[in-house]
Amino acid sequence: MITLVRVDNRLIHGQVVEAWLPHLKVSRVVVADDEAASSPLIRAAMALAVQSAIEVQILPLAQVDFAALSKDGVRTLVLLRDVASVPFAFQAGLAMDQLNLGNVHFGTGRRQVSPSVFLAEGELQALQQLSAQGVRVEARAVPAEKSVDLPDLTERWSKAG
Amino acid sequence: MVGLVIASHGRLADELVSTAEQIVGKLPAVATCNIEPGAPVEDLRAKMKQAVKAVDEGDGVIIMADLFGGTPCKESLMMCQRMNLEVLAGVNLPMLLKANSLRSEQMALSDMANQLASYGQRNITCASALLREAQQQPRT
Repeated sequence: MITLVRVDNRLIHGQVVEAWLPHLKVSRVVVADDEAASSPLIRAAMALAVQSAIEVQILPLAQVDFAALSKDGVRTLVLLRDVASVPFAFQAGLAMDQLNLGNVHFGTGRRQVSPSVFLAEGELQALQQLSAQGVRVEARAVPAEKSVDLPDLTERWSKAG
Repeated sequence: MVGLVIASHGRLADELVSTAEQIVGKLPAVATCNIEPGAPVEDLRAKMKQAVKAVDEGDGVIIMADLFGGTPCKESLMMCQRMNLEVLAGVNLPMLLKANSLRSEQMALSDMANQLASYGQRNITCASALLREAQQQPRT
């Protein structure tokens, strides 16, 4: 059962461990990321940050059985490194009524749409497509923060040009 | 809600709160006070009283000072005779984050303070040693 899908460049880090995990009360965290999965050191260091009562899976994106995660009864937080991974996971059966953008950092060609989210044009289009398929897209770094929804993000993106 | 005051030498208190807010968002009922080199103790005393008053909503206040035996800690202890407050020394970031979340639970102020002290201690770890252990028994 998918409790939240979050895009976060940093995957498991302070905001996730200290704010989202207690807020969401999930029993499982799934990091779907090739780079993190490829390194035993990164896997160990990331899993270390999560209290042992919570199951942690760190797998390459293509190896995650998103359909199975969506169907069982375990409350799950799915973490993806970038917006580009989202449509892939969605097509692979990830049940997603909401998509949270946490940290999407600045880079060339990106425009700021919230304090912690910078989007490239292609990403904005991908998000709009997801939205058309019924996914509510929001930018929100931590639960206590006010969320910014896609229409506002789109408007900010246009103004930032 | 229990109020929190972070008291330190220099800018540690302000920065600690600002760092905590970067991680979990805005902290309600939190005040900071600091003592700058060369500032008279009376100034700090007035600032501390003001800070406690600012965050006291009737459920008591926990002051987290930077250093046991330092001026912010000593001045806090002078106040706790007359008010419903507890003083912790050796504040760290895990302790502050926990203090913020513990406030939603019903417990005596002294219990909360004791829990926070042990939580702060428990969260000082030799992370590299834990990593070595974790690599021998992978969770993922």
